[in-house]
Amino acid sequence: MSLLSFVLKRIGRGLLTIWFAVTVTFLMLRLLPGDPAIAIASTNMTPAIRAELLRTYGLDQPLPVQYVKYLGQLLQGNLGISFSQNIPVTDSLMEMLPWTLLLVGASLVVTVLLGIPLGVAAAARAGGVLDRLVQVVAVTGQSLFVPSVGILLLYVFGLQLGWFPIGGAYTDGTYGGAWYVSVISHLVLPSLSLVLVQLGSYVLTVRSTLIEALGEDYVTLAHANGLPGRRVLWKHALRNALLPTTTLIGLQICLYLVGGVILIETVYAYPGIGRGIYDAVIRLDFPLLQGAFLLLAAVVVVVNMITDVVYGLLDPRVKVGS
Amino acid sequence: MTMTEPTPPVDPVLQAALPAASAVDSPARNTWRRFLREPLGVAALVVLVSLVFVAVAAPLLADYPTGYGNAVLSPPSGANWFGTDSLGLDVYSEVVWGARQSLLVAAAASVIAIVFGTLLAVLGAYFRRLDAVISVVVDLTLSLPVLPLMILVAALIGPSTITIILVIAAFSWPEVTRVVRSQALAVVRLPYVDAARLMTSSPAWIIRRHVIPAVMPLILVSVVLTSSRAVLSAAGLAFLGLGDPNTWSWGRILYEAQQAGAMSTAWWLPMFPSLAIFLLVLASTLLSTAYNDARNPRRNKS
Repeated sequence: MSLLSFVLKRIGRGLLTIWFAVTVTFLMLRLLPGDPAIAIASTNMTPAIRAELLRTYGLDQPLPVQYVKYLGQLLQGNLGISFSQNIPVTDSLMEMLPWTLLLVGASLVVTVLLGIPLGVAAAARAGGVLDRLVQVVAVTGQSLFVPSVGILLLYVFGLQLGWFPIGGAYTDGTYGGAWYVSVISHLVLPSLSLVLVQLGSYVLTVRSTLIEALGEDYVTLAHANGLPGRRVLWKHALRNALLPTTTLIGLQICLYLVGGVILIETVYAYPGIGRGIYDAVIRLDFPLLQGAFLLLAAVVVVVNMITDVVYGLLDPRVKVGS
Repeated sequence: MTMTEPTPPVDPVLQAALPAASAVDSPARNTWRRFLREPLGVAALVVLVSLVFVAVAAPLLADYPTGYGNAVLSPPSGANWFGTDSLGLDVYSEVVWGARQSLLVAAAASVIAIVFGTLLAVLGAYFRRLDAVISVVVDLTLSLPVLPLMILVAALIGPSTITIILVIAAFSWPEVTRVVRSQALAVVRLPYVDAARLMTSSPAWIIRRHVIPAVMPLILVSVVLTSSRAVLSAAGLAFLGLGDPNTWSWGRILYEAQQAGAMSTAWWLPMFPSLAIFLLVLASTLLSTAYNDARNPRRNKS
């Protein structure tokens, strides 16, 4: 299998996943009891106005027709009008997306930068003091409830010590360099919360796959050839251990990070999609909820596709055949 | 005269030298004995059992928190062990009653997810044509962000305990199916299942008699892990205001604190429900790890 057909296959799979998400959303919106017309309109309207409203939104047509129309609208990037803000959902989401991507991206980078050395250190002396410590901390970290961590950090470092701001994404009225500084200082606590929750599973994966790789014959051979131990560990064994880790970033971390980011943005009043979802829940803004879910699903699928392709580039076996 | 004469005591040295001697006991008892030697696992079991006790005995341990109290946002004291919230309600009672709700949701959601997920996994493993469809649906569902999906459904149906349970169950079964399916596939290919096919034409009998028992240990671990994930999901939904508004849950205590803007002044409000969630999830993780290790001692070495 050539690399090209591998890439095309992954893209096809990604598109299938997005189609699945869209269809599930459509069916839920139409079949669950949250009738959009009821949601839009007050309960004491006359049947005539209600029927009129149903017609405007195309809700009087048969389900398959509605489905095709819905797909058509989505292809044009039309996610409907937000009930609460009265602007297109797409505009509202695009305003929030950069903040969420910044938060997720920063957490992901820090998790990887901390997770790989920690995992390598633990695997290099498996069973040692550092390894035990890393394992205990990792299992503990995995059991944390994201908002709890967020609130704890906010309380200690934001309120008691006053090192970091406690809400929002930037300081109003700052420009240029000062604005960037304020953005970073607002980013520290929420992304640190996400890192603390994610780091455990990342470190444990690096550790266990690296221990497995260190038991392989080629590692023994490299040692026998007189290569320095450090080089064998970091260059030879780690490269193989990184493959499952890449998959983990793509799938698990991405999925849990999306859940975590919604909760953490709520704690820190961070103006991203998570905070938007929280506000939309309170105002029962279904179009915005729907759009937010589809956008997040698309982001996850795209990240997955990218990691799959990176996997293909890292793993020469993929070029030969699956 | 009875047949159950006590077996002569085995010399411990001899027993250690002859591993076959312990094969007389059932595997379950062996697992249990090895489990009791893992201090972390036993501690986790004790924590879980006490949390379940708190949940069951909630009416005996605390009055249901309702209405208004007289001391608003007072820190922990002899009268209010965990302090009071912004309505003056006792946080200790809220946490105790929250345990009831959180464990109810977790247990109900995970039972539904396990039964449904296992059934699909086993049927898929046995009937290969079904398997293709099931595994595609599982793969697709597992690659979607679950929390936003749960939020959308819970918001559409309207928050209630039943909604929360169903929503969590609806998006937890694919994980169960994925885990159980891989094991069931291996079992179905074993010769004794082929032998069973010669004895009966009833797939239901073979599945019940051979496949389900073979995946049972996996299901036990799944129950614990799915429940603890369900607690986190339920707390997450409640924290976003999608919990049952009529019942106290750990997530709702945090939500109310956030709504009242009391997080910053009253550290005890987020602290105690957070600790409860943490203890429950940590104990579940440790328990399932200890059980796995006890069942398969070789795993320990890796």
